[in-house]
Amino acid sequence: MKARAWRFTAIAGAWLAATCSFAAEPTSGQLLYNKHCLACHQADGGGVPNMQPAIIGGSWVKGDARALALFVMSGGFDSASRKESDVGNVMPPFRQLADEELAGILTFIRQKFGDGASPVSAAEVAAARSSDQDPGTKKPESGS
Amino acid sequence: MRKVVSTAAVCSVFLAGASIAADNDGLTLPAGFSAVVVHEGQGQARHVDVAPNGDIYIASRNGLSAMRDTNRDGKPDVVSTFGDVKGTEVRVFQNWLYVSDDVGVYRYALTKGQLVPGGARETVVGEFPRERQHSDKTFALDAKGTLYINVGAPSNSCQERDRQEGSLGMNPCPILEKYGGVWVFDGTKLNQTPANGRRFATGIRNAVAIEWNAKQNALYAVIHGRDSIDTLFPKLYTAEDNATRQAEEFHEIIDGGHYGWPNTFFDTKLGKRVLAPEYGGDGKKEPEAGKYPDPVVAYPAHWAPNDLLFYEGRSFPERYRDGAFIAFHGSWNRAPEPQAGYKVVFQPMKDGKANGAYEVFADGFAGDMKDNSPRNAQYRPVGLAVDPDGSLLVTDSQKGRVWRISYRGK
Repeated sequence: MKARAWRFTAIAGAWLAATCSFAAEPTSGQLLYNKHCLACHQADGGGVPNMQPAIIGGSWVKGDARALALFVMSGGFDSASRKESDVGNVMPPFRQLADEELAGILTFIRQKFGDGASPVSAAEVAAARSSDQDPGTKKPESGS
Repeated sequence: MRKVVSTAAVCSVFLAGASIAADNDGLTLPAGFSAVVVHEGQGQARHVDVAPNGDIYIASRNGLSAMRDTNRDGKPDVVSTFGDVKGTEVRVFQNWLYVSDDVGVYRYALTKGQLVPGGARETVVGEFPRERQHSDKTFALDAKGTLYINVGAPSNSCQERDRQEGSLGMNPCPILEKYGGVWVFDGTKLNQTPANGRRFATGIRNAVAIEWNAKQNALYAVIHGRDSIDTLFPKLYTAEDNATRQAEEFHEIIDGGHYGWPNTFFDTKLGKRVLAPEYGGDGKKEPEAGKYPDPVVAYPAHWAPNDLLFYEGRSFPERYRDGAFIAFHGSWNRAPEPQAGYKVVFQPMKDGKANGAYEVFADGFAGDMKDNSPRNAQYRPVGLAVDPDGSLLVTDSQKGRVWRISYRGK
């Protein structure tokens, strides 16, 4: 019951974060994007020509949330998207981030760069993490 | 009355001329210089060179192009694309056009009177491994045809896991065996592979801007410094530190030299070389004294030096002779801090050493750059050449625009 309530809170929180973009304060997802993602994908999600790909409007961001969560956790190495793209740099894995942090980032980028695609909950990230292939790093190293 | 009219006519012509000169296509330049657009549309233009007859050759990620101004109005009226090389470097050397892409250096024979090379492409050095990062095989040639190739490191800082938070550096860095330095070849021999070359200098992350200084009989390069000290080591560095501290280093490249990558970087805040955080750095710890040279000049972080040119033309004022022009393509890794670079800098030099602080020579390329995003830069300067009358050509990688910057006098 407690877990269900927490899950509801997390989903509601993610939904609020996604929809309440009129708020003056940036969402925690946006702050985490700024910290971990912005340097490469830039503030507008447009990436850098020949270096890092644009994510704005891209199929990864708009598409299946579980696939997106897995992609961000495992990084760009040897991924199908890397073979398709002509950008120079590859994305490092972000599986060290907690489920809630990843959910916040994914919700933010789907809302801002993915035509308002549905929010992603921490539970969805946790479910994706359980099928993540990297041995020994199924769980974040710490809670932060 | 007649006199008044003619004066007015002269004034209007003069003013029209002044307004054209003052515009400079939106670029800001030192007094006495003016810029005109020579051409636009050669894709993502990279480096440029000019033959003694004034023919312009441009390398781009879309292919090679050649331009000739047959009616001498200052703008090419014949523009041709040719060959199948998509890359960065292009050099007219004797009767050859040397070019490169990510995996090799090639040449085409130039025929007198003919703009576009008619013959087949010859491979000078081929079979470099195809890499994603820092893969442009820019090069310099000395008067004898010795070929110095920049073999950039396919890595940010030789971490065990590239660009991953907290990952330590491999020690020794195995990347340096085949990358991260300058390799020297006989540029007059064909069908060489990397095995035919010799590692001339190492510890060079990526030297897109590499140039032979004929007067000093020496090789120089401006090196792209490392990225992401803040996101990789957040306990040691802030985003502001990352945006400002790792110099773009200008060096004379000597035989056997080691320029400090990946073990160190030159910290512009501290004004000294420090150990990289992947190699035991704590934000201030220095490497063993004298192990790596200090740069001739340390330029601001992430400005992305993409071409270097020692001015040997005659039409610019005396103080520009033998100084260096550097095209800075502009940053991406300063975000979320404001991006910077996107300009052409003049470095006063004497006897191969810096002779004063650098000066911003041409600026205003980037425009407003919405969202602080490099892709929204209006233009990004990337290549430099001097034409036979001594004017400076500058290429742009956003729209393939080419400017000629000339000195008109004060």
